[in-house]
Amino acid sequence: MKKLLIAGVCAFGLVAGSAVSAMAEWAPSGPMKMMIAFKAGGGADTQARMIAEALEERHGWKVIPENVTGKGGANLARALKNEPNNGSAFGIAITDTFGYGMVSAGDKAGFTQADFTPLTTTAGFQMGVVALTSKGWNSWDDLVAAAKGGQEIRFGAMSPKLADLAYLLGQNAGIDLNIVMVKGGKGVMNGLNAGDLDIGWGAGIQAKAVKAGDMVNLVSGISSKLVVSPDAPTMGELGIDFNSDGYFLFTAPAGLSQEARDAIASAIGDIVNDPSTKAGGFIAKAFGGPVTISGAELDKVMADAESSAGALMAASE
Amino acid sequence: MGVFDYIQLGLEAVFLGPEFFSLLGIPISITLAMVFFGFLTGIAVGSTPGLAGPMAMAIALPILISVFGFHPDALLPIFGFLIGIMKGATVGGAVPAILFNTPGTPDAYMTTLDGYPLAQKGKAKKALKLAHFSSVSGDTFSDVVLIICAPFLAILVERYLDLPEKTSLLILSFAFIAAVIGNSVGKGLISMGLGLLAAYVGTGEDIYPRLSFGTQELARGFPVVTAVLGVLILGEIFKSIEDLWREKKQNGQINVIEQSGDQNLHWADIKRYAPYIGRSAVIGTVIGALPGVGSTLAATLGYTAGRRQYQKNKNANDPNFGEGAPEGIAATEAANSSVSGANLIPVLSLGIPGNAAAVFLILAAESIGGFNPGPGVFKIPSSGVNTELVIAFGIFTTMFFANALNWTIGGYIMRSMGVMIRIPKHILLPIVLLLTLTAIYVEQTRMEAMWFAIGFGVLGYLMRRIGMSPLPFVIAFILGGRLEDTARQAFQATGGDYFFLFTSPVSFIFMLLALAVIVYTARHKKVQSE
Repeated sequence: MKKLLIAGVCAFGLVAGSAVSAMAEWAPSGPMKMMIAFKAGGGADTQARMIAEALEERHGWKVIPENVTGKGGANLARALKNEPNNGSAFGIAITDTFGYGMVSAGDKAGFTQADFTPLTTTAGFQMGVVALTSKGWNSWDDLVAAAKGGQEIRFGAMSPKLADLAYLLGQNAGIDLNIVMVKGGKGVMNGLNAGDLDIGWGAGIQAKAVKAGDMVNLVSGISSKLVVSPDAPTMGELGIDFNSDGYFLFTAPAGLSQEARDAIASAIGDIVNDPSTKAGGFIAKAFGGPVTISGAELDKVMADAESSAGALMAASE
Repeated sequence: MGVFDYIQLGLEAVFLGPEFFSLLGIPISITLAMVFFGFLTGIAVGSTPGLAGPMAMAIALPILISVFGFHPDALLPIFGFLIGIMKGATVGGAVPAILFNTPGTPDAYMTTLDGYPLAQKGKAKKALKLAHFSSVSGDTFSDVVLIICAPFLAILVERYLDLPEKTSLLILSFAFIAAVIGNSVGKGLISMGLGLLAAYVGTGEDIYPRLSFGTQELARGFPVVTAVLGVLILGEIFKSIEDLWREKKQNGQINVIEQSGDQNLHWADIKRYAPYIGRSAVIGTVIGALPGVGSTLAATLGYTAGRRQYQKNKNANDPNFGEGAPEGIAATEAANSSVSGANLIPVLSLGIPGNAAAVFLILAAESIGGFNPGPGVFKIPSSGVNTELVIAFGIFTTMFFANALNWTIGGYIMRSMGVMIRIPKHILLPIVLLLTLTAIYVEQTRMEAMWFAIGFGVLGYLMRRIGMSPLPFVIAFILGGRLEDTARQAFQATGGDYFFLFTSPVSFIFMLLALAVIVYTARHKKVQSE
């Protein structure tokens, strides 16, 4: 028995050791460029910069963040696909950039999923339809009743996909919504506070105000219940087959070696899942906790994002 | 949380922020230190002919951001430095104007009229002291008005302006800026149009970047620093280099006048000049609160009003305005200095900059994030803390700290800056050029940025050569995106109403005013030039 145990420990040690050495073998040949599809200073940008810092601290990789913003991540995608595929360049955007955003642009997008090697996700969106409490709506039904009573409703959305989902929500309830495109979740919050919008999508940015009672989530835009508002119905419960499930996604140019892909993805995953790191702590606070999907599972998420986009576009036409 | 809690938080954010060093056991926060350094830089820059406060702010901003990072904690130290420059440059401009008949900043031109003759009479020190006193008085008055008016105006804006009205208010500001800045409405409009055109490259709602000719370089649009620093600074440098090349080398000799007599500013003097300072401070503050009207006009109006008053009251043997009347200095300096505080009223309540200095404060806020100038800043939430309001009070605190520096040590520093005129332009200009390009590269670590900046520099040079003000270009470039977004949102929010700008009375009045400003100014300027 003892022998077996020793053999087992040795075998485990060997396997683990080889795994560690395989990981340790890969290292970037020089500085790594981290492209960030979000505006400097926002929550998503902060997350990326904290991860860059931690990669440098833990692995000694020199990571240089650069903001490549605009077009819902499409500018980043077009810039990143032409970078070298040896691990010296990678970027962070959202899964929708390579799903609805890319599909809706058609040939004009200038990139396809085949141009990239997805690395890992870091967190999901706690997406909800949010309103100021002072509006007096406690539920989606209250809002529908107000709209049916003749009140004009302005719905802020920060991406074409969310605009389609907003349209479906209105169609499903039999009401007309004036859908207003705004820049980012911050734009929705400013619009609500200034009285320019009545409701809008919030990807988690509203959590603090909802907890404080200044805002209320009327609908959960994701397939599950929202952490801060378990009473808000999901899109599915309202009878809509689509939702806004999506993630922050690290990706690299196509043709990245498997070794490099695994090394970078697990390095990022370890940081994000460790709540004692600055990045991990921030993600837990700002985005409701880490979600790290990588490897084959991530490939499937990406394929689904592309295929469901066409269906949503057809449904909202 | 009430207003007083926010004032206290704002004070704490400035005075008890991260420590920079400690003086006799008292910790000095980084923000205070930055205000101090900015203030010294501002006085030096203002006293140097050929340099100006906005130039120093423009070069400092990208460098400061790369030092402090994109974090809300960086806002107050960076704002502090920029505000320090703004305040220092305002008083510094009078130094070469009085001592050498060369205005350090354009709005100090009027100061030369009486300041230089006074210096010729051996009263340079007294003239500098008076300029300093008038300038700081005007500035402080203006800041008080800012703090009282900005929150009030922001709340009014919030309550009465919806998306269509916000769009028409932007259009009105554009019309105002194009019409008022520079000497021709047509050129102002062209300058503004070019700014909008540049702002619309690579932006827009469509996923395909417009106006990019299929190139990846243009797809991300022109970075703000390249357009702003290119047109404002590189353009000015190119023009100055050409001027230098054309001019025969001027006689570098500077005559030193023997100073004599009483050089102190007495209580009786202050009482005598106070009415001139007071009137000009009000004029400058009112002018400053209008977007697009700069301190040069304020100085002119203050001077003219002062002269009218002086003619009525003066004794027979007092010198006339223009012959060394101290009242002339008081009227000019109080007017041009009281513009800077009031200029922040449209910045903080609407997010619309009125002059070049305000442009860089908005740019700082936009690049760092965490502070969005506009009505949202002054909102007090029912629970939790509005951090933007804390920063706003922090900004006010830095302004008053800079004023305190100005009242205490500003005068001494200013009077020691006479040496700056001895820096030869052929050495100064290449240094500024190099600093500017470095600042741009620090922020945009890609080579295209250099080419864009030089291209915009050539544009700025050409604009100056044909007498077109580059400021409407810069303001249009910065606000172009906002104009488009607000207009799109107003259109969508009104359910696709094509006449959204004309359906509400307020919006309709703004549009009429925009048209009236253009027509009236065009006719007025034509009459003036005939």
